[in-house]
Amino acid sequence: MATESSESEEEGKITGGNQHLIVEDDLREMGKKAAWSVSSCKTGNGVSSLRDDNLETYWQSDGAQPHLVNIQFQKKVKLQLVVLYVDFKLDESYTPSKISIRAGDGFHNLKEIKTVELVKPTGWVYLSLSGNDPRETFVNTFMLQIAVLSNHLNGRDTHVRQIKVYGPRPNPIPHQPFQFTSREFITYSTVR
Amino acid sequence: MEAILTDCVQNSLRHFMFKNAIFLCERLCAEFPSEVNLRLLAACYLQNNQAYSAYHILKGTQTAQSRYLFAISCFQMDLLSEAETALCPANEPGGEIPNGAAGHYLLGLIYRYTDRKKSAIHHFRLALSIDPLLWAAYEELCVLAAAEEATVVFGEAAALCVQKQYLHYGLASPNLHMSSEDYNSVSSQNFGSEDVSLRQLKHTQGNNLRDIPCNYHGAAVLSGPASQPQSGGPSNMSFYNTPSPMTSQLSGVAPPPLCRNVQPNGSNLHTVNTDVSPKSVVNSTIQAPRRKFVDEGKLRKISGRLFSDSGPRRSTRLTGDAGANTNANTTVIAGNGTNSSSKYLGSSKFSTVTPRTVTVRKGQSWANENIEEGIRSDAFDDARANMTSKSTSSFPSGDIRSLDQDGETVPVGGVVISGSKVISGASEVLGLLRTLGEGYRLSCLYRCQDALDTYLRLPHTHYNTSWVLSQVGKAHFELVDYLEADRAFSLARRVSHHSLEGMDIYSTVLYHLKEDMKLSYLVQELISTDRLAPQSWCAMGNCYSLQKDHETALKNFQRSVQLNSRFAYAHTLCGHEYVALEDFENGIKSYQNALRIDSRHYNAWYGLGMIFLRQEKFEFSEHHFRMAFQINPRSSVIMSYLGTALHALKKSEDAIKIMDRAILADRKNPLPMYQKANILMSLEKFDDALEVLEQLKEYAPRESSVYALMGKIYKRHNMHEKAMLHFGIALDLKPSATDVATIKAAIEKLHVPDELEDNL
Repeated sequence: MATESSESEEEGKITGGNQHLIVEDDLREMGKKAAWSVSSCKTGNGVSSLRDDNLETYWQSDGAQPHLVNIQFQKKVKLQLVVLYVDFKLDESYTPSKISIRAGDGFHNLKEIKTVELVKPTGWVYLSLSGNDPRETFVNTFMLQIAVLSNHLNGRDTHVRQIKVYGPRPNPIPHQPFQFTSREFITYSTVR
Repeated sequence: MEAILTDCVQNSLRHFMFKNAIFLCERLCAEFPSEVNLRLLAACYLQNNQAYSAYHILKGTQTAQSRYLFAISCFQMDLLSEAETALCPANEPGGEIPNGAAGHYLLGLIYRYTDRKKSAIHHFRLALSIDPLLWAAYEELCVLAAAEEATVVFGEAAALCVQKQYLHYGLASPNLHMSSEDYNSVSSQNFGSEDVSLRQLKHTQGNNLRDIPCNYHGAAVLSGPASQPQSGGPSNMSFYNTPSPMTSQLSGVAPPPLCRNVQPNGSNLHTVNTDVSPKSVVNSTIQAPRRKFVDEGKLRKISGRLFSDSGPRRSTRLTGDAGANTNANTTVIAGNGTNSSSKYLGSSKFSTVTPRTVTVRKGQSWANENIEEGIRSDAFDDARANMTSKSTSSFPSGDIRSLDQDGETVPVGGVVISGSKVISGASEVLGLLRTLGEGYRLSCLYRCQDALDTYLRLPHTHYNTSWVLSQVGKAHFELVDYLEADRAFSLARRVSHHSLEGMDIYSTVLYHLKEDMKLSYLVQELISTDRLAPQSWCAMGNCYSLQKDHETALKNFQRSVQLNSRFAYAHTLCGHEYVALEDFENGIKSYQNALRIDSRHYNAWYGLGMIFLRQEKFEFSEHHFRMAFQINPRSSVIMSYLGTALHALKKSEDAIKIMDRAILADRKNPLPMYQKANILMSLEKFDDALEVLEQLKEYAPRESSVYALMGKIYKRHNMHEKAMLHFGIALDLKPSATDVATIKAAIEKLHVPDELEDNL
């Protein structure tokens, strides 16, 4: 995962951001299989702007903080990375500053798994969900909630232009304990 | 006036000026409404790709010729049931199928696409028995896995059959049997016998009406040169490769295998129409001698009637008539050639009266290029050249008869075929067809090594053609020998740059080899060659799939399906992409679509098996893998998956047996060994598993999953140091993120007692 952050502790600060979205090959975007919802929105800037692959459109919240983006899957999925596009230069006081990511089975048992503070971000911001333990590379969950706790310059509402959620690719060959890496194995492993 | 108009129409058709032809023909029909003219108009429409117009015009007609044309238009419009009733009306169960072999062939295709395999096989066999050079029917039989050995089909009996046809023909017109190169005399004689010409016309018609349904992928569609409309005739042009004296040679346009008369029925009809006019009669007569032809047995039927309704058998033999016919043939072929790529039915355009030499030359080059099967025989070219010259020489005499349009059959050249020449010509053609047929049959049965050996027996000139090379490539592909397949296919591309046949398989080969540069290049070339061919879009889909962009790949495969919904492989590829996107329902649907079209498409059976394996419906999975295995019993990949499914069903001994077979079948395939180790491990035969894995280690030293599995086994054995070592190596080999996590977790657990051991 390409994180542009300098975070070393749990509560890290992230500055800057990539202009290009570059993600490792063995991750795939999982958002299409989820139901996305938001705690509030202004008309015309709803949740669909978060998923339209268009950086010009944005979601604008319209209520009390914290503003929430809920991502619910039909079954437990392994997630590894969350990427947001936020831009201080364009959104100024609407730019999120403190973000908390929670996971759980539903609204009733969400637990915070990560908190991040953004400092004047200008592009794609990568938030890895892995823990330190190798066993915690992925978060296996039904639901993910991204909470915007505060904004830059103490703004009330927030703008987020795009959100993407990544998880590992499944093994192309079912019932295999490990995935194949070498060309000979991969060539012979499927019939097309 | 009628005659003039008819002439003009046919002239236009010969010159591929369809709009002109349609316009004039409409005037003709308005002025002289008759079924003959109506047929001519329908033929014009069919050649101009307006099957719907032909359909509406011919609706309700009863004569055999019209019914045949009507069936073709229905087929092109995908109205299979109407096509079927047209060809074999329900209230006449014993009725004669119009156009003999061509009609049977079309009927066979209809049955095949409506899932009535037995009737389809029956009709293809009938078509072959009527016309043993109907390669397309043999090909269809191979695909349905119901073909007899090529030596039987293209054997002695066939040669006799061919000879009989020609002789019959000859008998019909006494002039025909001239074994000399006495063109002029022949023609003059022919001129005299109107009856003969009529008969010949009928014959030609019969020949012409061979339609080849468009959905012919690759097979040999050499559009048989349709006989020139005028010359009523010889639609069947047989191409003889024998360079023997031209007289007996008819322009062999296409090497034998491709004898398909892709001629629009219309052409035949046209000839019929032209018969009406004295000119055409003349033409036909002249033509007749040339044609070596085919109507066997039905000569008698051709009585004075102008239109032979009974489909004399139209052999799909491409009879190359010498001289005019030759010209016609060549052009026709050319026309057919182009058409065949565009799924055209019978677009044979007949060369018209235009200077024969020109036509011939054109025809030659066309024929050369457009031979889909790519079989070009040098001999054939020589023959053609000879014929051309003959025709040119005979031209002057022909000119006198300005009436004839194309028929200047004067340069009869080929017509006069003596009996012995026919037989020798026929046997040469059949010899070639035998080899190719046997090769194709074997590769359809997936006995690929035998097929390859058979193809190697072909003469060099035939081997180096795009059809044969594609088949060779395909055979290597089925043997999972992708490097050889790559070589064969790239040769095929070099030989024939424009041919799209088999390119979808080539793109899959490149996908397997992970050659994304080559694949993108191939895709660019294919798209620029033909944007409307399903193979190009399949290749593009494969390219995107290689880059793991499954959604775009799926879109491309769906485009390919839209372009030709009878292209089974496109459906299978769609299925693969759905599975990659984890949309199993649609995946199952796509695979089932593919199987509906071609139930011997083992990739689709395999795909279904994989879906059920993922969904843990092991019995279904085993059933599907077994079906795939029955179709292709030599594929080690399928065997290893069958073994996996059996193991999941707890039939582990059978599983191990199959794995051993798979290992033997293909030493280069590491997968069965790995799976065997897996099975052994779950059976707790750790030492055996380790042994297998050690072998595998030498074979694929950089495969992380091998070391990971070994580490796992050592861990179970409590040999922690070794386990640690192997896990370390596995991690070094950069496995995927999931595996990294698994392996690291396993390493941590190494130092913890195993009570809470989960699946690791």
